[in-house]
Order: sequence, then structure tokens, then C-alpha cells
Amino acid sequence: MHDKTVRRRRTVLVLLVVLSLLLLTAYFGESSNGRLHGVQRDFLTIVSPLQDGANKALKPVRDLFSWFGNTLHAKSRLAQSLKQTNRLRRELVNDQSEKRAYRELLALTHLDQLGVSDYHPVTATVVGKTPNLWYSTVNIDKGESSGIQVNDPVVNEEGLVGKVAAVVSDGAELDLITNSSMGVSARIGTSTATGLVQPKVGDPNDLLLGYLPANAQANIGEYVVTSGTVAGGESLYPPGLMIGQVTSVNEESAYKSVNVHPAANLHDLDIVQVLTTGAGTRASGLSNLAASLPSAQAGNSGEQLASTQVGG
Amino acid sequence: MSASVNGSLGLRLAAFAVVVGFFQIGVVSEVPVFGVNADLTSLLVAFVGLLCGSTVGAACGFAVGLFVDLALLQTLGLTSLIFTLIGYWCGRLRELRDPQGPFTPLIVGGGASAVALVGYSLMEFMLGVDAPVSFELLREVVFGVFVNTIVALPMWALTRRALEGALPEDPRRRRRRRAYTTGGLSPLSRP
Repeated sequence: MHDKTVRRRRTVLVLLVVLSLLLLTAYFGESSNGRLHGVQRDFLTIVSPLQDGANKALKPVRDLFSWFGNTLHAKSRLAQSLKQTNRLRRELVNDQSEKRAYRELLALTHLDQLGVSDYHPVTATVVGKTPNLWYSTVNIDKGESSGIQVNDPVVNEEGLVGKVAAVVSDGAELDLITNSSMGVSARIGTSTATGLVQPKVGDPNDLLLGYLPANAQANIGEYVVTSGTVAGGESLYPPGLMIGQVTSVNEESAYKSVNVHPAANLHDLDIVQVLTTGAGTRASGLSNLAASLPSAQAGNSGEQLASTQVGG
Repeated sequence: MSASVNGSLGLRLAAFAVVVGFFQIGVVSEVPVFGVNADLTSLLVAFVGLLCGSTVGAACGFAVGLFVDLALLQTLGLTSLIFTLIGYWCGRLRELRDPQGPFTPLIVGGGASAVALVGYSLMEFMLGVDAPVSFELLREVVFGVFVNTIVALPMWALTRRALEGALPEDPRRRRRRRAYTTGGLSPLSRP
């Protein structure tokens, strides 16, 4: 009995395997118009309506499963999209930052057209700002090791920013032009009359160009630039550096004075250029002399004193 | 095994296989899970073998394979060959080991799916069909086995439910049941 069962089982297996192999061989060997292909097509013709019916009947089930699948897929896509958005946002911020830095550096390269070739510009990044409203000093990441000295003029792509107030090996503190200790010899546009630009008392965003001759021409909107000379001598600042724009004219005293809005946005400083002076140059001598003055003297009239002594 | 039981089993098997076949073609094949589709037909063949024995398993495998090959216009005989072997091996597993563990359907289902997927890929490759042997193929095989293992339990329950009452009596299981129910737990306890 057992042998019979085993024999039957093995026979069935061999039969089915042989049948499968025969089908496989015959199907593979015949052309697409062969008999087995025809049987397959006939079978499909018969079951096609059934498949169609089953397909329609089972559509809700399929849709249900698809809905779950699509929901999961949508969730994973959402997570991917959020990641991608965050990545692109970071890239955008980096790009904008680089673009801005590039523009600033590009503008700084044009400074040589203003006659600053006697100076050796050192590009520095602002690393610290006074945390109060007045923004009169900032710190930069370059110092003595880069050739920066006290009283070196500092500019950015918009115009004059200030001067170096203190310097250490790898850093420096800048006095902005709105600092009360600052005084810059300047003139209006193409006029030859010079005056002194100082911070306006009580307004940290405004400057005052004073000591202009009463007959000096001054119109609102004109540009104020450094004169490069003061009291018959040379200024610490090279001539032609943009300081700001005239906003109003005051004529109530013997001297004319004008209000000047700084060209440089002192609240948004990022990259600046320190115009360092090479050893032995005239600019270097001016700078050293100004630096050697006592701090009381190097106040508002520091530039005048320095230029007077050099000139003398 | 009486003729009526055989007939009933045959009818139930045929009806269930046709329903599963259409469900596979109409629904399951169009719902990808983890990028692959579950294959209920290979599970059906494996579980029929596990429930009914090697002869019925092999016959069922051949018939289901032929149905799939005909309905999907595939190479005739290819799926039949693989499913015949799967049905037979699963039937032999029942006849030799008769596994009763709760994870048996999972293991058998996963194994059957692996044999079906790898066997199909190998056969296609041997027949010269341009099947790309790549990491993607390996991934599909692995994920296919995983998905089939997940659906193995419900498929096992469905198959048992569909064939219940028409399943052949297993002599080994009958002997074991009699031993437990008549108190003859061990030959050592006999006088």
C-alpha cells in the first residue's frame, strides 16, 4: 500500500514536470502563430470578459489598497519635499550671502580709481559691533599682523566708514564716522571749499559738515567727499572718498554748515577695507604722527593736528 | 479517502484557485507595496501542498501555474514547472514533518516565495530573456519575499477556511489524535 502511494506520488510529480518541460520546449520552439500561442490567445479571449468583470468588481478593493499605498507614498514624498525645501533654503541663504560678499568685494576693487594706490588695502570682516543704538565702534578680524595701524582709514563699497582706533595682533577696533572723536576734512562735490565732517550731536545717523566759507556753494543732494587736504597739509584720508549726501544747509552763522547723511550703511557692515600705509610712504608718516599724539589731542581735531605738523 | 471527499476538494480547490488567480491579476498585481507586488498564487500552491499533501500540491501547482501562464501570456510551462515543485515540496514537508508551529505558514510562505522568485529569475535567465541581473533584481527578490511573508498568515487562514471539511485525513495525525484522546500517552505507561 505504502509503495503504491509512493509510486503514485513520484509518477505524478515526474509526469507534471515532464509536461511542464514539454510545454516550455514546445512553446519556446514555435513561432508566435503556433498552436500553443493560439491556445493562449483563445484562453485569453475566454477569460478576458471574466477578467474585465473581476477588474471592475474589484476596483473598489484596488482603490482602497491604492489609497493606503498612495497615502504612505505621499507621506514619504512630503518628508522628502520638506527636507529638500530646507536644503534649498539653506543653499539660497548661502548664495545670497556669497552674492552680497561678492558685490561688496567687487565694489571695493574699484576704489583704486579714487586714487588710493598709495595705500595697501586690507580686506577685513566685521566680527563685532557695539550692541547699542549708536553703533560708533566695530571690531574687525585683521590687525597688526596684516599691517594695520591706528588711524588707518576704513572704507567699504559705499564710501568712508571710519578709521582704526585700536589695533592688536589679529584684530582692530574701528571708530565709525559717526563716533564723536571723528573729524574728516571734506568738500562738497567739485567745490574747492573744504570743511570738517563731524557727527551731529544728538543724531547718530547724521553728520555735519561745518566750517565751510559763508560763500561756499551747497545744494541739497550734492555729494560730500574727502578733500585729501586739511589746513594746507595732507589729510589721513585719500581724496575723493564718498562720505555722504547733503540733506540740508544751515547759514545762521559766519560759517556755513550742511547736514550730511552717511553714504555707508553703518548699521549693516559686513566687509570693510582698511587702507593700510606702506612703511616709508607719506601716508605712513601721517598715520604714525597721528597715532603718536596724546588721546586728548587726537580728538575732534586729530586730523588737523596731524596734517598741520606734517605740512609744517 | 473517499471519492466524494476527493471531488469536493477538487471543486473547492478549483474555485478557490480561480478566485485567487483573478484577485491576483485584478487587484494585487496593481497595488505595489515597497515597490513590489505580493504573489498570492505561489502562497496558495504552497499552502495547498501543506494542507493536502505532495500529490495534490504538485497538481495544484501545475494547474495554477498553467492558469497564470495562460492568463498573463507568459512562457507556457514556466510557472507550471516552478509551482509544481513548490507544491510538491510543501506537501512532502507535511508528510514527513507535519509542522504545527504558529510560524509555519510564515516560514513556508516566505520559502515558497523565495523559490518562486529566484526560480523564475533563473529560468528566464537560462531561457535567454534579457533579465538584468543587478542589485535592483536582488532588491525585488528580497522585498518580494518580505511582502509575501507578511501576507502569508491571512492567506493561510483563507486557504484553510476555503478547504476546511474537504481536507484529506492524515494517517500520522489520526494516530496521534487517537493516542491523546484514548489516554495512551506513552508506550511506557502500558502494562
